Amino acid sequence: MAEPILSVRGLETFFHADEGTVRAVDGASFDLHPGQTLGIVGESGCGKSVTARSILRIVERPGRVEGGEVLLRRTDGGVVDVVKLPADGREIREIRGGDVGYVFQEPMSSLSAYHTIGNQLVEAVRLHSSANKDEARARAIELLRMVGIPRPEQRVDSYSFELSGGLRQRVMIALALAAEPRVLIADEPTTALDVTTQAQILDLIRRIQRERDLAVILITHDMGVIAEMADTVAVMYLGKVVETGPVDAIFHAPRHPYTQSLLRSIPSVLAEPLSRLATISGSIPHPFARPPGCPFHPRCDRHIRGTCEAGTPPVVQLAPGHEARCFLYADQAGGAP
Amino acid sequence: MSEATTPVLSVEGLRKYFPIRRGVLRRVVGHVKAVDDVSFAIARGETLSLVGESGCGKTTTSRCILRAVQPSAGAIRFLAAEGRQVDVAGLPRAELRPVRRQMQMIFQDPYSSLNPRMTISDIIGEPLLVNGMGDLESRRNRVAELLDVVQLPRAYMNRFPHAFSGGQRQRIGIARALALNPALIVADEPVSALDVSVQAQIINLMLELQQRLGLSYLFVAHDLSVVKHVSHRVAVMYVGRIVEVADTRTIFAKPRHPYTEALLSAVPVPDPRKRASRIVLEGEVADPSNVPAGCAFHPRCPYATDPCRSERPELRDAGGGNLVACHRADELALRGVAA
Repeated sequence: MAEPILSVRGLETFFHADEGTVRAVDGASFDLHPGQTLGIVGESGCGKSVTARSILRIVERPGRVEGGEVLLRRTDGGVVDVVKLPADGREIREIRGGDVGYVFQEPMSSLSAYHTIGNQLVEAVRLHSSANKDEARARAIELLRMVGIPRPEQRVDSYSFELSGGLRQRVMIALALAAEPRVLIADEPTTALDVTTQAQILDLIRRIQRERDLAVILITHDMGVIAEMADTVAVMYLGKVVETGPVDAIFHAPRHPYTQSLLRSIPSVLAEPLSRLATISGSIPHPFARPPGCPFHPRCDRHIRGTCEAGTPPVVQLAPGHEARCFLYADQAGGAP
Repeated sequence: MSEATTPVLSVEGLRKYFPIRRGVLRRVVGHVKAVDDVSFAIARGETLSLVGESGCGKTTTSRCILRAVQPSAGAIRFLAAEGRQVDVAGLPRAELRPVRRQMQMIFQDPYSSLNPRMTISDIIGEPLLVNGMGDLESRRNRVAELLDVVQLPRAYMNRFPHAFSGGQRQRIGIARALALNPALIVADEPVSALDVSVQAQIINLMLELQQRLGLSYLFVAHDLSVVKHVSHRVAVMYVGRIVEVADTRTIFAKPRHPYTEALLSAVPVPDPRKRASRIVLEGEVADPSNVPAGCAFHPRCPYATDPCRSERPELRDAGGGNLVACHRADELALRGVAA
């Protein structure tokens, strides 16, 4: 496969609080290719959002990126390690919005209520180009049309609170695409929306991706959305990427016990009515009480006593592009291609 | 009708209009028809799910049933413990309390629905205390029993809510709802705030409790995957009205209303090999203060014809006790989700 546009290696982002250190992202690695969608999936506290925010260096204090590499191939072909850039420097500000667009979960709180959506778009366009005001406004209208907002010439002068949730999320996507980024990070872009609106937004992301050969990181807790959208998947649990692989392998041949249990426990429209669901015992531990060894071992039904709680499980390659971080496959670690 | 066949809850012609007031004089200039002529019944031991998109009136309907909001019109007949039917909609406040004991609510957000200053024992025992039931000792025994029922250790009794995870809190909320031995539980999005792995535990618990205690559930939810697991029957609402009611198997396999078809088709299926061509609805949900003429769904309906734009379709028999409100229900062959 061609060179990845974004390559994350051993990313570590920690939050230092009085009660202790939370290893929100604890050694995450994955690659992202142009025209492809990487789905990052996991439950609350797994570090999927912090991973995305680390890529743009917008982790809020007391969080800090402490280690690893985030290698981004820029438009000129050069590769920068985003982790090494000063968090408020010129280059990272060019990258934010310029190379990498970002769509947040809550469109209401990420759009300004004091400026028209047109003004916010004009600002985003002019920040990353030399367009004058009129050109930028024309571009703003064009962006609104591209994301499927009806009557963009009029809507450009409305405020975000005048729009429905679905339209607001479309505006967010227009904003993220204002500077024609080659990577789009969408963090739970449809979680606050109804299913029919969700379907519209997912379709929109897919269409824009095709048109622009965009590389997309889609962060969600919804396995259905992952199955629908992703080419490759990274499953996270308590800061660790426990399994990565092509979407078909993740759903039809999952290897990590967490991925397996998670897939068994999701309700499905294909299920038998009034049927019980398989469950994962216990609940997600508190961030300050993270279990030693493999973080999933207290809830794991294939827990190897004396091994899983003692050390960090190895990342084992099971097939090309399919890896799991689990002791069950430790004997295959050496023999993998 | 005998007690055995009388539904636990029977709602007839329920309406809730919220006035829109404008100007200095706060004159009423229109109404938001949040719930507009809704009828359904729930049998003993049955789960009816109300589904639909935000603003369709499903939550308002459930709140009317508990009389958390006063309905504008309609009857809400509830089969009280003594085997007598009472109309909750018309009951004076004083007579409401004994009826309310028998219908309880489980809330969506387990973080804001438990008082952080009360111990688990006080939270679960509060309905008993408020209704003057038992002494301190018997109430503690009942709380211990309820903790067993929701599968939480009795030792948690004296802890405060902050010590618990979302799933455990939802169990506490369920224990509180069960304290007075209700016949009907109204559950408004009870698992939508929970993580997937915990959601499954709560769904299973609700299924078990229903079997053991013969509970009836009115389940309000937007997630059709969850609805498929918990419901005997499903009612689909669109802009304040029920557009289709059917048993769960039928409505998922063979929807009769185009809106149901579109809703089903929008649900992402957790299998990458089943990426289906979806019906993506154009436009947005109609404004309940300005409902389109004819069928409220016609501006978004791919099958709409002239009668749909002028005549409002009434709910009518679709066979097997199922109902649908669509002019073209008989001629359309709509797509469900295949197993």
